[in-house]
Amino acid sequence: MSILWRVLTRHRRAVILAAVLLAAFLLMTVQVRHDRAVVSFVRQAVLFTVSPFIKLTAVTVGGVNHVWQNYVDLRGLRQENLRLQREAVLLQRRIDQLEEQVLETQRLQGLLAMREAWRAEFVAARVVGKDATNWFKTILIDRGSRAGMRRNLPVVGPDGLVGRIVEVTPSTSKVQLITDPLSAAGVLMQRTRVTGIVIGNLDAGLRVRYLPLLADVVVGDQVVTSGMGGVFPKGIPVGRVTAVERKSGALFQEAVLQPKVDLSRLEEVVILMNWERREGFETGSRRQP
Amino acid sequence: MRLFVVCLLACASAQAALLGAISVGGVRPDLFVLLVFFLSPRVSPEVATLQGFVIGLCQDALSGGPLGLRAFTYTFLGFVTAWLSHDLYTEKPLAQFWLLLAGAAGASLLAFSLLAFFVGLLPLVPALGLIAPEAVYTAVVGFLLLRLPQVRAAFVRAI
Repeated sequence: MSILWRVLTRHRRAVILAAVLLAAFLLMTVQVRHDRAVVSFVRQAVLFTVSPFIKLTAVTVGGVNHVWQNYVDLRGLRQENLRLQREAVLLQRRIDQLEEQVLETQRLQGLLAMREAWRAEFVAARVVGKDATNWFKTILIDRGSRAGMRRNLPVVGPDGLVGRIVEVTPSTSKVQLITDPLSAAGVLMQRTRVTGIVIGNLDAGLRVRYLPLLADVVVGDQVVTSGMGGVFPKGIPVGRVTAVERKSGALFQEAVLQPKVDLSRLEEVVILMNWERREGFETGSRRQP
Repeated sequence: MRLFVVCLLACASAQAALLGAISVGGVRPDLFVLLVFFLSPRVSPEVATLQGFVIGLCQDALSGGPLGLRAFTYTFLGFVTAWLSHDLYTEKPLAQFWLLLAGAAGASLLAFSLLAFFVGLLPLVPALGLIAPEAVYTAVVGFLLLRLPQVRAAFVRAI
């Protein structure tokens, strides 16, 4: 025992490094084996601790941006003419507010139209943060378990599918975007009803895999969720085919998609609640928003 | 310890909520890797190892990747940075930049290798198209942060 202790003490540096590397390796291994309890606990603990600071930062940045746009940018005008500057500040502020209101109204009208079309309960949320790496595509929204959020709820924008909730804290949730390299969803071609699986990519693109080699898929085809897998309702627009790839010797063909939603500029999203108890997601019967 | 916690919280908040405004082509600098670089030389390799693990774990929790991916990478990076800090210490600006670039790219390549091992083989070309600009951007930001006193002095002189 004492010999072991002496060896450990002498090689303390190497032992600590090996132990911590092993811990990190085991964490990843645990996830591969789908034992999510420990991982989920750690994620939620960190997210719970950090998310108030992220929200605070987002609010502060918004405030500073507001002040910058409404005051600092207009400071030069004061040097030319004080009276005109005051008027300009007031008018500019009104214009900014009105423009912002118009844009917000348009976005909310889109969301309301979507709600009408799909007849689902929904909760609107604001995007307060983005993924901490460039590799994965997730966003942080300002609704958590207190607002009824839970894992795997589908998240959509005015134009189509955004992703699904993967982590929930009381006040925030993390949404995995469909462009995330670890994301996958069942889809079908709206025109021919051919099914496939849409996956994300490291370059933030979308690809539909496992399309039968002889299936009729052409550029311009609209792609919607198939409803298979039970996470996403059937008929949510996903994207438009921009290229079809048929490699010689391959069993399947692939399609490259342009996402319906501009995921880099998301400000508000909608979380579909209790959709499984409702009907109306089928594209054939769905009114267009 | 208090400095570490404050730096980590500030880094996490900035990475998630601030850096979108300065992203170039969708690529943002990685503040977490800079945090490892800046904190590790100040402590022993043992402490740097643990700090790297916690920083990586925090980034993993705030990202969509597997938990442990960056923790593993930054554990290793923190240890190496602390261990070699005396040998690699330099005041030369160009050398600082290249060290930051090499460290950021090395950390990303290690993370990519781990990801490929656990999740499956990922296409290398798109990954390099992400790793290279991210490493360069991170090195540039790190270099500017290191040179902040000089930049500030030059700015004051100019005005």
